[in-house]
Amino acid sequence: MTTDQRPDFHAALNSLEETTMDMADRVEKMVGIAVKSLVTSDVALVAEVIASDDVVDEMYMDIRSRWMQIMARQQPMGRDLRMMAAILELNNTLERMGDQAVNIARIARATAGLPREETILAKLVEMGDLVKPMIRTSIDCFVRRDADECLLLPAMDVPVDVLNRGMWKHVVECGHDQPLLEWATRMVLVSRALERVGDQAVDIGEQVAFLMTGDHQEFTRHTG
Amino acid sequence: MSIRLESGPVVVDSAFSTGASPPPTAPETAPVIFDIKGLNVYYRDFHAVADTDLDIHQHEITALIGPSGCGKSTVLRCFNRMNDLIEGARVEGRVLYHGIDLYGPAVDAVEVRRRIGMVFQKPNPFPKSVYDNIVFGPKVAGWKGNPDDLVEESLRRAALWDEVKDKLDSSALDLSGGQQQRLCIARAIATSPDVVLMDEPCSALDPIATYRIETLMRELKERYTIVVVTHNMQQAARVSDRTAFFSVDVGDNGQRTGRLVEYDSTDQVFTAPSLKETEDYITGRFG
Repeated sequence: MTTDQRPDFHAALNSLEETTMDMADRVEKMVGIAVKSLVTSDVALVAEVIASDDVVDEMYMDIRSRWMQIMARQQPMGRDLRMMAAILELNNTLERMGDQAVNIARIARATAGLPREETILAKLVEMGDLVKPMIRTSIDCFVRRDADECLLLPAMDVPVDVLNRGMWKHVVECGHDQPLLEWATRMVLVSRALERVGDQAVDIGEQVAFLMTGDHQEFTRHTG
Repeated sequence: MSIRLESGPVVVDSAFSTGASPPPTAPETAPVIFDIKGLNVYYRDFHAVADTDLDIHQHEITALIGPSGCGKSTVLRCFNRMNDLIEGARVEGRVLYHGIDLYGPAVDAVEVRRRIGMVFQKPNPFPKSVYDNIVFGPKVAGWKGNPDDLVEESLRRAALWDEVKDKLDSSALDLSGGQQQRLCIARAIATSPDVVLMDEPCSALDPIATYRIETLMRELKERYTIVVVTHNMQQAARVSDRTAFFSVDVGDNGQRTGRLVEYDSTDQVFTAPSLKETEDYITGRFG
């Protein structure tokens, strides 16, 4: 029979993890709304993403503050120490994912009056549809402590990278039309933002692996 | 075969070298100086420690941690036969020191304790001068040399010289608790030991005195091998190279017997231990 000898510490640690997961849920929704704002040119959705990011930023600061207090006062060890390390990493990653959603939303607002190219838009929607399940998978793996399923994330990221790399070709095809080219050039930035979100979901998966095994892992090795 | 009396590196007949390998969980680096196999310790009918295998590596700090009653101090006392002084104590198994069985019939327990010194939880200087505390042990052992040099060298190594050099004739009992403990360390190393055992050396000290002892321990490991028992896991994490975690089994008759659960590099034990039982202990989930 195991009894928790440090209930206050573990309550604080659990609470910190819950806040981090709330932040992850919010960021996941922000990415979905940002892509939707791009398709609909709905400025209300843009405002919703930006307002939500303010909340994310507050959560980021709150998590950092509580993280420092726990480290200073409790000196966590073992899996508690690994959880603290993972939370610090997730906090940074989620905050940047939120920023990417804001970048997409702001581009949606800036390009609202410009002509659009449907193939590019469809590719971006497809990228959004690919990265949202990646975020969900990474968060679910963290909650479930599932070091096996998170290994699926690099494979889920491959089509996102392929779509991002192919985006230039579609943009160049818009070169005959100046207003369309202006829109398409901005869409390269959207593609890049979604590609980064996919990579960041993989980063969260790596933190799950670290949390469960104690080994720092890089799921994706770059060559050349 | 007995351990030779000369100061300096311990010289051991190679025929008594064990050739034993460290346990698979311990990183193999420094030479093994204590090779313990199948250690069982009894106090009359009370089975205090069961079936412990442990290697201690030269010029490292090894921390023994675990809850009260887990046998870590009992194991420490086996390293220099201090358990011999406890009536009814019985040690079974093999305790090899540089390949020599410490409990062999030809081994002189007094000489063992000169080679393997001990510092206790509560500073226990002799009620004599600072100077006499240092020279007393070596003189009793028949040492003939320049006592002034011995006092200065021992106190310098214990990081105490600058604080006491002008009051060497003062009573050791007039020193602060932290200074008394460093004097006890100086006294222990004055006999040119190979190993210094420390049983909760900082538990009676304030934080500043504790940090000074910990700093001193890291300096001393360049010359000596240190084994420290501590209740303070943060201290074990701060100072040691390897950590052995002991736990307690409670038998049907309520008897509490200690056993070694996990032994690994300190980095591994405090970040990602192999066993759940260890992780539960270091994260405070036990009892």
